Amino acid sequence: MARKVVDPLTRIEGHLRVEVEVDGGEVTDAWVSGSLYRGMETVLKDRRPQDAFYVSQRICGVCPISHGHASTMSAESAMGIQIPEGARLVRNLIEAAQFLHSHILWFYTLAALDYVDPVKALEADIAETYALAQAAGTRVSDFGAVASRLAAFVESGTLSIFTNGWFGHPAYPSEMPPELHLIAVAHYLEALEMQGRAAQIIGIMGGKFPHFMTSVNGGTAFVPTEEKLDDVLYRFTEVAAFVKEAMIPDTLAIAPFYLDALGYGGGTGKFLSWGVFDAPSFQGVDRYLPNGVITSGLTVEDAKSENVVEWIDHSWYKSGNGLNPSQGETVADFTSYDTADRYSWGKSVRYQANGDGTGESTEVGPLARMVVAYVRGVEPVVALIDSTLEALGAAGKPEVLVSLLGRVAARNLETAYVADLALGWVLELVEYIKAGDPQFFQPHDVTDGDGVGMWEAPRGSVAHWMSIKGGRIDRYQVVAPTTWDIAPRDTDGVRGPMEESLVGSPCIDPERPMEVVRIARSFDP
Amino acid sequence: MAYEDQDAFHSALAARGVSRRDFLKWCGSTAVMLGLAESLAPQIAAAIEVSAIQPRSPALWVNGGACTGCTESVAQADTPDVATIVLDLLSINYFETIMMAQGEDAESAKRDMIDAGGYTLIFEGTVMTGFDGNTLRVAGKPQIEELPEICEKAAAIIAVGSCAVDGGWVAANPNPAGGIGILQFCKDNNIETPVINLPTCPVNPEWVIAMVIDVLFLGQLESGAILEKLDDFNRPKMIFGQTIHDNCPRRGHFENGEFVYEFGTEEEAKGFCLYAVGCKGPQTFTNCPIVRWNSRAGWCVESGSPCIGCGSANPLKAGGNWVDVNAPFLNRHRDIHVGEWVTQPVVVGAVAGAAAVGALALHGIGMKAAGRMDGGAPYEETKEHDRKKGGGK
Repeated sequence: MARKVVDPLTRIEGHLRVEVEVDGGEVTDAWVSGSLYRGMETVLKDRRPQDAFYVSQRICGVCPISHGHASTMSAESAMGIQIPEGARLVRNLIEAAQFLHSHILWFYTLAALDYVDPVKALEADIAETYALAQAAGTRVSDFGAVASRLAAFVESGTLSIFTNGWFGHPAYPSEMPPELHLIAVAHYLEALEMQGRAAQIIGIMGGKFPHFMTSVNGGTAFVPTEEKLDDVLYRFTEVAAFVKEAMIPDTLAIAPFYLDALGYGGGTGKFLSWGVFDAPSFQGVDRYLPNGVITSGLTVEDAKSENVVEWIDHSWYKSGNGLNPSQGETVADFTSYDTADRYSWGKSVRYQANGDGTGESTEVGPLARMVVAYVRGVEPVVALIDSTLEALGAAGKPEVLVSLLGRVAARNLETAYVADLALGWVLELVEYIKAGDPQFFQPHDVTDGDGVGMWEAPRGSVAHWMSIKGGRIDRYQVVAPTTWDIAPRDTDGVRGPMEESLVGSPCIDPERPMEVVRIARSFDP
Repeated sequence: MAYEDQDAFHSALAARGVSRRDFLKWCGSTAVMLGLAESLAPQIAAAIEVSAIQPRSPALWVNGGACTGCTESVAQADTPDVATIVLDLLSINYFETIMMAQGEDAESAKRDMIDAGGYTLIFEGTVMTGFDGNTLRVAGKPQIEELPEICEKAAAIIAVGSCAVDGGWVAANPNPAGGIGILQFCKDNNIETPVINLPTCPVNPEWVIAMVIDVLFLGQLESGAILEKLDDFNRPKMIFGQTIHDNCPRRGHFENGEFVYEFGTEEEAKGFCLYAVGCKGPQTFTNCPIVRWNSRAGWCVESGSPCIGCGSANPLKAGGNWVDVNAPFLNRHRDIHVGEWVTQPVVVGAVAGAAAVGALALHGIGMKAAGRMDGGAPYEETKEHDRKKGGGK
């Protein structure tokens, strides 16, 4: 029995420590620690409701759009106002651009190096690489140029961001051909350009990314013009093409070498989604990725904000324990890092399926959203998942999605779904404007109320709770996506979703626990 | 540099679809960004050509209490793109968000660099001092335990983003996690490494690249020239010397007294000046309207939003962060902060015409800083729509 610590876990947003116990080549226990506390909720107290949108999105530089939208929705909910149709479409488009940006960045820039060994790409035969790319139906790049660039880079002897990488790790499947490694390296470079292209859409509609400007309380400050919508459409088209011509085929080409990852990394098998991308009804269950919670089997219920509870038995806080965020408190109190006692700046957030008790350890994120949408029968999602299961030789067995590979696949399939949706919304917005008298902002003048904004970030469910008294923020609470997934143990000592997903994972080299970092990163924390 | 080396460099660029002409054009725009004459483009080109062939310059990217937004921002750069930066121009052996290694292997890569010294430290996020630094723990200990050595052994520190400059939003009242900027941290620890401050939230990647070129490729650190280019807050004057208002494309509407008073109105659709909905352009010193954001795709005011002054900075003053100074963001302020200096519009009250006087006074400061004294517009009588809004003389 040995403990192994990975700290810092790199290639994520922020700071995370993962500690595991390994016995006989298998992870037997796990502790995940959020290493940073900044105090957003305290900073926002007594400020104006209008300011929360600008400041609270700065919790996360990778998903500011979703935090901004959750914040604005919490204010709108507190004030009892509804944004107009034009603002719905603009917000959906900005959110979609961030989803595309974030998922492409995650798959290629952050996660790919766990599955692809750039040194192995050096052995690739260029002609064979072209043949393989064609056979796999993935995008053909200038593979020769990429190979020479890579070779020159390695020869130079200074490895920059690749210094001390786990090259040649036995967890890279030996049967995966060097040519496939080279294809992935080529697309790693192209993806850098594509994630930037998606972000430019937010630059146009939101002023800049990260940290955008236009989704103000009441609607949007963005005024669409023909020229701007044209610039947006062209970029969505280009990014959607990359997703379909490279990201999805790459996933399907690499997955067969990692089919063992269908057998571990699944976690609690309980899922929550607040839902994202509003339909004209503005109802959570009608969203393009709908609201829903699954706590047993494949039965979906409507997810309610009042059923959320936060425990701090193992977190560095001294405020009230077991509170719903509408009554939540955040009073920091560092003691020491002790896995037997307190070990994280993250609270343990749980969903009370029956409205009381300790609550369930529920995973959030693309896998949760896609499973909820699948069970709710959202047609494009059902089609995407069924065809992928068939391609992986698991037709009719959606339960295999509750795994490391399932989590990776779900994110990439969601990317394809969102890319299609976005193209449709641009055209819908054009039609809406053509119909005349488009509305983008609902004026408001409300000084008191309590509200909650429930939404989804690329990495999972995000909700902001805002209480307004006399025109000032009286209470502000955020449950960020990663707070759900990296939750430490709750008041009953039950592990959080990421912790649970690590237990039972193989660990063929405890000194370099590749499977562990793959699972942790698969949550996109 | 040998002719064949230069040739190899340009073949490498050509392989990525960058012609020598494109490259020189980019060097030209970089020269302008650096406050140099465009005619110096060949000199910049030569410096980069040499550095691309010689061993790459060492840099260390450290995240303090960060949202990773500045990394995100720089990852979207296309002049040059981030792959060129990390593969061809610099050797960034530690960069948590994108590096291949993790855990102790990442830490040992960092240790090797610290021991060698002489690197450029790029610091993102807030220095976290709360609970003896335990508000940010890295590798099992508070980050601030190791940070003095990291700063001390650096040849220069580039503070990217408002958090690194003065604590940013993290340091906003009541600053519950004890956030400060890296310059303050260096002062507190008697560290004299030069600090270059690049505020805004997040940082604009074009500025980071400009500074990397200044520091690493043009040898301006050794010559001391870089320090002469900084203002009192250690910001490069050529980037932070003029206000947003100075260069705003909506400036004409300001001069005409044509303002947006509420979103969703006809005035907004016409692209009028956003001063009346709280635009902090007149008091915020950055060149956003010129450099723009996301590879020049847009910027805040063009998208329809007032500037919220995320580039306001005051590295050595508690409460000088952009949130405390500029919130409430959508209100015109009675107190207008420009660095240490606080002023009020001539007439108190929500009257655009009167507030504009204050703004114009400030604008004069911007003009002076930029060496342009001939701007400004005469005071105008209150407009009809000001009166409708409840204002008046």
